[in-house]
Amino acid sequence: MKALVAVKRVVDYNATILVKADGSGIDTNNLKFSINPFDEVAVEEAVRLKEAGMVSEIVVVSIGPAQAQDTLRNALAMGGDRAILVTVDGDVEPLAVAKLLRAVVESEKPDLVILGKQAIDGDCNQTGQMLAALLGWPQGTFASALAFKDGELNVIREIDSGNETVSLQLPAVITADLRLNTPRYVSLPNIMKAKKKPLATTTPATLGVDVAARQRVLKVEPPAKRKAGIKVGSVAELVAKLKNEAKVI
Amino acid sequence: MDFGLSEEQKMIVGTVRRFVTTELRPLEDEIATSGHLDPDKAKEIFKKSKELGLYAMNMPEELGGGGLCAVDTMLVEEQFGHTSDILIRRAFGNVYEVMLKCNEEQRKTWLLPSIQGERTGSIAITEAGAGSDAAGISTRAVKDGDGWKLSGQKCFVSDGLYSDYFIVSAVTDPDSKPKGISLFLVDKNMPGVTVGRDQLMMGLVGSSHIELFFDDVKLGREHLLGQEGMGLRHALETLGRVRLAQVGARAIGKSTHILELMTDYARDRRQFNKAIGEFQLVQQMLADSVIELNAARLMVLNAAWEIDQGRDGRDQIAMVKVHAAETLGRIADRGVQVFGGMGFCRELPIERLYRDARVYRIFDGTSEIHRTVIARSLLKRGKVLFDVPA
Repeated sequence: MKALVAVKRVVDYNATILVKADGSGIDTNNLKFSINPFDEVAVEEAVRLKEAGMVSEIVVVSIGPAQAQDTLRNALAMGGDRAILVTVDGDVEPLAVAKLLRAVVESEKPDLVILGKQAIDGDCNQTGQMLAALLGWPQGTFASALAFKDGELNVIREIDSGNETVSLQLPAVITADLRLNTPRYVSLPNIMKAKKKPLATTTPATLGVDVAARQRVLKVEPPAKRKAGIKVGSVAELVAKLKNEAKVI
Repeated sequence: MDFGLSEEQKMIVGTVRRFVTTELRPLEDEIATSGHLDPDKAKEIFKKSKELGLYAMNMPEELGGGGLCAVDTMLVEEQFGHTSDILIRRAFGNVYEVMLKCNEEQRKTWLLPSIQGERTGSIAITEAGAGSDAAGISTRAVKDGDGWKLSGQKCFVSDGLYSDYFIVSAVTDPDSKPKGISLFLVDKNMPGVTVGRDQLMMGLVGSSHIELFFDDVKLGREHLLGQEGMGLRHALETLGRVRLAQVGARAIGKSTHILELMTDYARDRRQFNKAIGEFQLVQQMLADSVIELNAARLMVLNAAWEIDQGRDGRDQIAMVKVHAAETLGRIADRGVQVFGGMGFCRELPIERLYRDARVYRIFDGTSEIHRTVIARSLLKRGKVLFDVPA
């Protein structure tokens, strides 16, 4: 079975984000970029499936600037077998990403596509669902556990009301939640091996996908500063304030 | 001229950073309180690190090490600097480059097991009467048949309690000092070797620094490391890289760690209704620290790059040693100052980092001896030491 994992290069979760003075976006100058944490979980899951003998090859794909090669090498060092970079400058909207991935899926023909449930930059949470719809494949989103049983893939999904288990026929699209696993450390020998693993590049034009933006960002601004809290004297006072002032209960 | 890190370098630094933060730093408080690292925990961190290929990364790949070049070694050593000496030793190992002088047989006995983490060796060069003056030692190895008889004493043998062998310098030919010094591999359990006190220190809690006594220790030819009479040269050739890594790069890591704590504190701590970071006198401490830190890091990496080009980096290493150690000293001092009363208090790590920082200006050659070396070289060699080579 072949697995395809999509990874995105995002601003590191630890970085201090500053909004540009003109409100056109965030200032990425000198910022540290890393693999999207949910995508790292997705790669880890694919590697674990390979180690368990369920998967024979892992192809990692990224859509982004040339520097996204770093992100792909990271995924290769974790255990991916080869990588594909679709080179695009600037933001790509989820639907365009899903279309690009569909094109890659059509040529690679994987049995399983694993993505992070969302990227921590745009927080769109759309790509996996859109990809499944475009391919006409079943989807298991927000996965916190995977298990193969009688030729079907059981996915435990983290949803608002608790955990839901769905059974999927392969091929299928999975999106990973944080509790699916804890990504491994990349070892020094594997970092060195990753350098020699194949990394192919392609473009949206080659894949025949129009990535022109359909949305326009009007303004980016930092979230409002939190106001200082207050101390309450008793539970009764707290409940009263939540009811009458905050109006949340 | 590319100052960027390669993909591999970013990944190696990332892995080591995560390992230090997740596996090692949580053990620091317990070591500071109890005075030692629990042996079971030491085994656990060794095992984890070994599996990731993070043990003995400075040793050549074909001998089972990580095969890192000097620049990469400095990048990981900087990350090591974010935690304490004893944790670095147990997790990442401390195999000295001088051990590469081992011959085939010696490799099997000492070097290869050290790279595997099965054996540990310490350097025993310093004596009560010979610190920076390494040629002034009085430990003697007197010819005895085909081998030698070793007698004398050493002090400040770092990690000596844990180690099971020592790299010992001894005079083999008293008439031709400093050339008459040789290095010997001496097992701790050999008859005539006595372990003295663990000398308690101002900082570096958890690491031992012992006295060693040699009383007619019989050494066969297989104990001679490198060539007879070349001990000092072997040490000088290889200890430079150790100095750059363990003093230079680690001082940068420590400074980075302290500056991070200082910056956060200056942002959060409020007095007179504003963050203390808004006061200009505090800002000066922050600005000076970040300026000096960035300059020192470039010096470390540049000296390492010179080593990788196959050049003799000794003058540069001496300059880095002084500058990195003194930068750390100033940043640690400012760190305590920015933290105020809490900087003096054992509840926070700042006072411990301050105590640990002090020795950087002393060990591996004091700032003063390195300045002497630098000035002598400058007077002799001129602008090679400071001008652009073009």
